[in-house]
Amino acid sequence: MEIDFEAILKTYVAECDERLAAMEEALVALEADPHNDGFLEAIFRGAHTIKGNAGSLGFPRVAGFAHAFEDLLQRFRNNSIPVTPARITLLLRSLDALREMIAAEVAGAEKVSPEHVKLQQQLTDGDAAEPMENQAAAPVPTPRDAPLIKRGAVADAVVDYATTIRVDTEKLNRMLNLAGEIAIAQGRLRQAMTVRGQSNGEALEAHSQVERLSLELQEQIMRVRMVPVGPTFRQYLRMVRDLAQGQKKLVRLETQGDEVEVDMSIIEHLKDPLTHMIRNALDHGIETPEARQARGKNPCGVLKLQARHEGGSIVIEVSDDGNGLDRAKILARGLALGMVSEAAQWSDDELYGLIFSPGFSTAAVVTDLSGRGIGMDVVKSNIEALRGTVGVHSQPGEGTSIRIQLPLTLAIIDGFGVGVGDETYVLPLHAVIECIEMPVSEQQRGALGVIDLRGAPLPYVRLRDWFGLTSPRPRRENIVVVEVDRVKAGLAVDALYGARQTVIKPLGDKFKNVRGIAGSTILGNGLVALILDVPGLMRAVMQSPRDEAAPTLAHWRGEQAAAKLANSAQSL
Amino acid sequence: MMETESALEQIQYLTFQLAGEEYAIGILQVKEIIPYVTLTMVPQTPASIRGVINLRGAVVPVIDIALKLGLSPNPVTARSCIVIVETTSAAGSLIMGIIADSVSQVIDLPPQEISATPPFGTQIQIDFLRGIGRSGQKFVLVLDIDKVLGSDDDAETRTNSSGVKVTDGKARLKQSNSNHEIASA
Repeated sequence: MEIDFEAILKTYVAECDERLAAMEEALVALEADPHNDGFLEAIFRGAHTIKGNAGSLGFPRVAGFAHAFEDLLQRFRNNSIPVTPARITLLLRSLDALREMIAAEVAGAEKVSPEHVKLQQQLTDGDAAEPMENQAAAPVPTPRDAPLIKRGAVADAVVDYATTIRVDTEKLNRMLNLAGEIAIAQGRLRQAMTVRGQSNGEALEAHSQVERLSLELQEQIMRVRMVPVGPTFRQYLRMVRDLAQGQKKLVRLETQGDEVEVDMSIIEHLKDPLTHMIRNALDHGIETPEARQARGKNPCGVLKLQARHEGGSIVIEVSDDGNGLDRAKILARGLALGMVSEAAQWSDDELYGLIFSPGFSTAAVVTDLSGRGIGMDVVKSNIEALRGTVGVHSQPGEGTSIRIQLPLTLAIIDGFGVGVGDETYVLPLHAVIECIEMPVSEQQRGALGVIDLRGAPLPYVRLRDWFGLTSPRPRRENIVVVEVDRVKAGLAVDALYGARQTVIKPLGDKFKNVRGIAGSTILGNGLVALILDVPGLMRAVMQSPRDEAAPTLAHWRGEQAAAKLANSAQSL
Repeated sequence: MMETESALEQIQYLTFQLAGEEYAIGILQVKEIIPYVTLTMVPQTPASIRGVINLRGAVVPVIDIALKLGLSPNPVTARSCIVIVETTSAAGSLIMGIIADSVSQVIDLPPQEISATPPFGTQIQIDFLRGIGRSGQKFVLVLDIDKVLGSDDDAETRTNSSGVKVTDGKARLKQSNSNHEIASA
């Protein structure tokens, strides 16, 4: 029998990654609670397993390093040396070294880097003589009274690997694709069966059952792709610890809703924005212990990561109990940039929302704004790319909370089908507010226009003209009212096909420059329909040359004036 | 490197008709040939991108290669086909469809029988051609399909730089519409 050594190595690396992450977490917990033997044991077991596996795979250098690591832990165990922050730092750095060594061994590297040799020596000596360069003379206070994470969390994290298997995500994507295909084929089959006229009751019923089952299958596959956010949240424990120590701040990371599940593709895209927001909160939100005490707050700041379900979406909140945003400075900046006209009309949260505007945070302002704006526009655009929304809430002196709302999955959306000529377009259902009939007076207009929606002006764009379709206009058109960033707008279409579950297919690189199109899907009749990116489409319309829109707007104003006159005449 | 390798090994070519001329592409790059189906148009794309089709669940762009080459496209007829090809570029391999007026045959064309492209006289840009081969009594133009499909703009927009994207799309739609009229006439 041939042994697939490649596959074994892959599994080994994946397993080590998991174990090292768990050990890291336990180390951070141990620092806060040095006398907790449970944490110590968990770390010890992890190191032992890594040592054993490395030995049996013939990686003596990794095994040797892990042995030195174990030795130091052993001395903690029999109380020959105490647990100190400096030693924890040494151990954390050793974990990083182990990670690098394992990667190097698997890649077939020959040498051990001198840095690793030095670390191993320090481990053997139990000597944590300031391995960090920027460690100042004053010892960093340990947040002893504030355990970094709750007890028991680490024990829970030690998963029983026996009942789980590793599956290549590509296989899952393929399964989901196939399930989508089946659904489409079924749609066609149903159409064929009903069109024939002779309704075969038994066949139709069997078909309904197949439809039900395949829908369930699709849901199950979607569920397999769902992973809890907990492990992702816990990855930040280390980052928070390191950043806080570097800045001489005391920060406790609290996580809530670790068990909330979300599609793995979303998790992947969430990491960068989260890193950004956490870094911002630590850098600029949470004050130094002295400043906090002066304000009568607990010297140890709290950074919270929360996840929960809300309707068909997931909400992730990053909140701190630090400074809060400076309304006056944001307002000044907004006025300077011409984004805000009058101070009075802006609610706090609306004003704070400005920090997400591109260009709002220039380097000079960052310091003014206590840096709160750095790259927040990047966070927003990343989240919007996931079809999510971002909002911010802040209380001066009490903290800031950023709320991200995301769809549960990127693979399927609730869509709303509309028809223009022979083409079908799908809108995300959550963007659709209502549908109304196109007023007769508007039928001769061009691509853009404005109608009166119960007294309020509603600008609309005629998709046929905007997309340059040449099919003739029907006698009756409809307007789909959508809302983007609290601004309502209309999309004029021919037909309304209603809501449907839509499997999203990417359009590919050829179309990456097309604005207003988010992707595509395959209809029941086998044709491709485009999924509209409503915010993108609206932006494109707004940025279109003014001369195209101007006549209609001028016309509309004239009409409004006439209507007002008529109204006042009536009321007289 | 792989490309030159396959170019050396490649001796079989698929020939097809396009605007009255016979063109050939290496058979190794041809995935399949399907009849012309209804396309879904994508707005704001160059005129040569005619739309997308559903190829067994994958959404595949379909290119009007005549426009890419700067030829005037013929109307769609019952003999029109979509040739599904796999192209390779720096960004990786990509599956695309190209529209052919009709597909002719598969011919053997050993490298020594492909002569270099003459410096002028051919209707299309020289760097789109690998060379000229012979099929029976006629010449066939051997296309470098990676180059043709890898170039981002159309022959017409290369000469006319004033085209904005939206107008491109409109020009294309007019074009395809007039095609349609000819076909139905």
